Amino acid sequence: MATQLPDIDFTLEYPYTRTTGPIMGPFLTGLRDGRILGSRVGDRVLCPPVEYDPSDGSTVGPENLVEVGPGGTVEGWTWVAEPTSKHPFDRPFAFAQIRLDGADTTMLHAVDAGSIDAMSTGMRVVVRFNDERLGSVTDVHFVPGDEAPEPPTVDADAEPVGIMEHVIGVRIREPLQPHRKRFLEGLLQKKIIGQRSPADGKVHVPSRGYDAINRVAMSAEDDVEVEGKGTVTSFTEITPIQYHGQTETEPYIRCSLLLDGADTTIGGVDIRHIPIEDFKVGMRLEIVWRDTISFDDEDNRGYGLNEGVYERWERTGEPDVDPELVKEHNF
Amino acid sequence: MARPCAVVGIGQTKYKRRRDELSLDGLVREAALRALEDANITFADVDAFVIGKAPDALEGVVMPELSLADALGAVGKPIHRVHTAGSVGASTAISAAVLVESGRYDTVLTVTYEKQSEGNATWALSGGRSGGQGAGGTFAPWIREYIRRSNAPEHIGWQVAVKDRQNALKNPYAHLHLDDISIEKVKESPMLWDPLHFLESCPSSDGAAAMVITSEDKVSRSPNKPAWVLGHAKRTEFSSFPGRDTIRIQAGMDCAQALYDKVGITNPRKQIDMAELYVPFSWYEPMWLEGHLIAEEGEGWKMTDEGATALDGDFPVNCSGGVLSSNPIGASGMIRCLEAANQVRGTAGDYQVDGAKVALGHAYGGAAQYFAMWIVSSELQPDFS
Amino acid sequence: MAFEPQENDIAIIGVAQTAAHARFDGPEVVMIMDCVNTLLGDAGIERPDVGFTIAGSCDYLSGMPFAFVSNVDGMGAWPPVYESHVEMDGAWALFEAWLRLQMGDIDVAMVVGSGKSSPCNAREVFHLQADPYVVAPLGLDPDALAGIQARALIDAGKASEADIAGVVARSRAAAASNPNAQVSGSVSVDSLLAEPYDMAPLRAHDVSPKADGAAAILIARRDRALELSDNPVWITGLDHRIESHHAGLRDLTDSVSTRLAAAGAGVADGPVDVAELHITHAHEEIILRDALGLDDSTAVNPSGGPLCGDPVMATGLTRIIEVARRIQSGEASRGVGHAASGAALQQNLVVVLEEGGA
Repeated sequence: MATQLPDIDFTLEYPYTRTTGPIMGPFLTGLRDGRILGSRVGDRVLCPPVEYDPSDGSTVGPENLVEVGPGGTVEGWTWVAEPTSKHPFDRPFAFAQIRLDGADTTMLHAVDAGSIDAMSTGMRVVVRFNDERLGSVTDVHFVPGDEAPEPPTVDADAEPVGIMEHVIGVRIREPLQPHRKRFLEGLLQKKIIGQRSPADGKVHVPSRGYDAINRVAMSAEDDVEVEGKGTVTSFTEITPIQYHGQTETEPYIRCSLLLDGADTTIGGVDIRHIPIEDFKVGMRLEIVWRDTISFDDEDNRGYGLNEGVYERWERTGEPDVDPELVKEHNF
Repeated sequence: MARPCAVVGIGQTKYKRRRDELSLDGLVREAALRALEDANITFADVDAFVIGKAPDALEGVVMPELSLADALGAVGKPIHRVHTAGSVGASTAISAAVLVESGRYDTVLTVTYEKQSEGNATWALSGGRSGGQGAGGTFAPWIREYIRRSNAPEHIGWQVAVKDRQNALKNPYAHLHLDDISIEKVKESPMLWDPLHFLESCPSSDGAAAMVITSEDKVSRSPNKPAWVLGHAKRTEFSSFPGRDTIRIQAGMDCAQALYDKVGITNPRKQIDMAELYVPFSWYEPMWLEGHLIAEEGEGWKMTDEGATALDGDFPVNCSGGVLSSNPIGASGMIRCLEAANQVRGTAGDYQVDGAKVALGHAYGGAAQYFAMWIVSSELQPDFS
Repeated sequence: MAFEPQENDIAIIGVAQTAAHARFDGPEVVMIMDCVNTLLGDAGIERPDVGFTIAGSCDYLSGMPFAFVSNVDGMGAWPPVYESHVEMDGAWALFEAWLRLQMGDIDVAMVVGSGKSSPCNAREVFHLQADPYVVAPLGLDPDALAGIQARALIDAGKASEADIAGVVARSRAAAASNPNAQVSGSVSVDSLLAEPYDMAPLRAHDVSPKADGAAAILIARRDRALELSDNPVWITGLDHRIESHHAGLRDLTDSVSTRLAAAGAGVADGPVDVAELHITHAHEEIILRDALGLDDSTAVNPSGGPLCGDPVMATGLTRIIEVARRIQSGEASRGVGHAASGAALQQNLVVVLEEGGA
């Protein structure tokens, strides 16, 4: 039974690690350990602290760090009625420009005021240290009033914060583009659908929905079916590199195939059933479809002929094609 | 009409897997401050800024010109950011030159960088998905085809890997200082993308590179000999289309020809004294020598084989150690341009090519579809006859 | 009185834009392709006649590193072309193209801006423009900083909530005559003020609706511009400046960078008949009018502006197009196009366009 084709829902996410340097390091360490630091620059104190003097770009060192706060004055604010998943609270709260006592500039942070009516320009706020502190600006928040914070429990053995962690994810939700949907639906029926350009007759598999050479968009009228049989035009053997999200562990061959009847190559075809000693440019292969086709990671940009679709590509037994004849279909 | 411009200041960071002690601000400032000092100017003297780097997802900072303007002394001034994939460093150098050549800005500070240790380059190149082949996985099949067409012997790639790392030993900024690099060590290193071994591939580096580029009337302010920008060129083709030759690339040949025509070069092999070519995988040295019309088709590997591209050869390539020795992706293209300038100024220290007067800086990017190159010289109008 | 162009002066000789789509179902490339084909067709030139091409877009908006690479498919790159890309609004691509033509060896350049905002939540992408150490981890997005800026404007007595609502009402009404607008219509200030706050004191309608769209401009040096167009629109000034990314170091109630850019572009050198402003929040119009020195004699955002459709990464370029169109049609003689980048008008680009002697 074929699977459905849902909209694309992909999150581009990575757990970034930032080295903090000589100013942010102490600042974030301070937040973790119970104090807020600013930089003395000339006759002003800047908070957040800076690595350079904003007026002339000269370097400002950590010897200029001074403690500020724990309370301060709100000099500007907004009320966030519907927080996003990236905001520090999942209930309405204020973002505010807070001039901490002892500082001459304002810092942006969040005030858990409970209601918009509790916010006003000029009000007093004071820091609170969150129970979970990792050495990030999210270790603290602010509340209305002047009641001093409970000093947080400090781990005497903890190293200064040299690395700040930030998991950054951007969620992408979009429907499959029409040509892409028809291509994947074709695969569900064990058909490979390309598009023939109305401008020059060349067959694009998989199609991107347009012919870039002639700058024309293509439509369903241009759809053509091609055979699941073709010629290896280039390959390598990949030893997988481990990175966040990688699931491959063993080496495998990745090749490009020029399907019979197509003028563009399909790349990213993974071959695990043919040893590399036997694998050659010019080799003739044909698809062995899976009984049940599935897509676990469809998108609008990839080649799409992945291993949820084919069990393997099998040698047809035909003689190899001369590599000279496919040398302009490497990619 | 176009007026001449020159590189009068050069600054680089020490390239390393992770610059532990620096923030993003600190990384770009290290290069920028060195370039300003080298040019004998301050931030106040800069009229405009151009920064460049590869995809924002490498650090997870969107449009970093916004958060770096303060650190670069750009507040109140124009700053913009170029992004042309791997070629970005050279594209940025070219944009900076255009700012001056157009007549609109006299003194430009340009900085390119990558703080790759914050994210992961292979993850980014894979679009954040599993099964990514990385850049090496894309280029390895083309390298196989180059070897087939040219009948090059298998040791050429290893030879390039050794040469560039030995050159890097003379460059204090280089990331890789592999004292014991040898053909054997390269062959023994794990195969990553057949036929490329681990030691035939570029490292992943944190780093920044910066230049100060000025108009002719401002060069005397700086103590070093100016490196005149004789000309620059960029060409792009589609990543894939019916019949694309990814080994002998049309955009690469067109770019080189356009550059040579602009500068008045008719015999690049003879008239260019050295080249910094973007070689992130060993075999791209012979492939670019041919692809940029320095060697005849099929003959590039012979230049490598006979030692022509060694530091003491007649066409030295990547005397700095090249991308194979340091690769902060956003900066690598500018490092090529800046090292070419280093050579013609005579400031390349232990890896100086004696008497180098005309040098080529080059970068490529994407699916080997973006090309950006410039030629610099110690003379404003060299005699090429 | 009319501008007399010198040899190296640059004119806009063609413009094209898609509608601001709430969602465009096809690839971004097809939107770009439509614009490029229109430009070339209208000008009666072939692709190789364009000497330099440059685009503006944002990979993160597309959710994919290197997303910009495929956009070249829409612009044409075979045979190979001289092109470049900025990871910014297309207005900054225009900046580079304008400079490049002044080198004198190339006569025609094409500038593109494009983006699809529909797949993502703009707040979840663009908070990543903020300081990576002390702001981005809070998810503090440009709409939140805009809310803070609007509050500051009100506290300073420079605007009222009704003034801000008035910007929306005027924009929506103006957009009724713009076939490319995403939203338009007649709406009263009172009804707008009755809506709930979003990022107080801003309401949802005070924030531009993000769109999928593309825009493109053809520019040429004088002699070629006069050959290719009967009414070229001359770029007589172009400048851009940036402010600190630390909100605490800025006066959010004024746009210092716009003042500097306007001075650099020569805005005050003549009357400004029309101005299109890249506002993504309604209160920004009040700040920019002041910074640009505009009075009631200037028609501001007659297209409806971004509050009626914001094709992110093409929006600034579209403002310039809307001014150029009105000069081409004879509706205006001189105008200002403005583009912005970063939160709360951190960076601003100003271009002055004029009709000229042929």
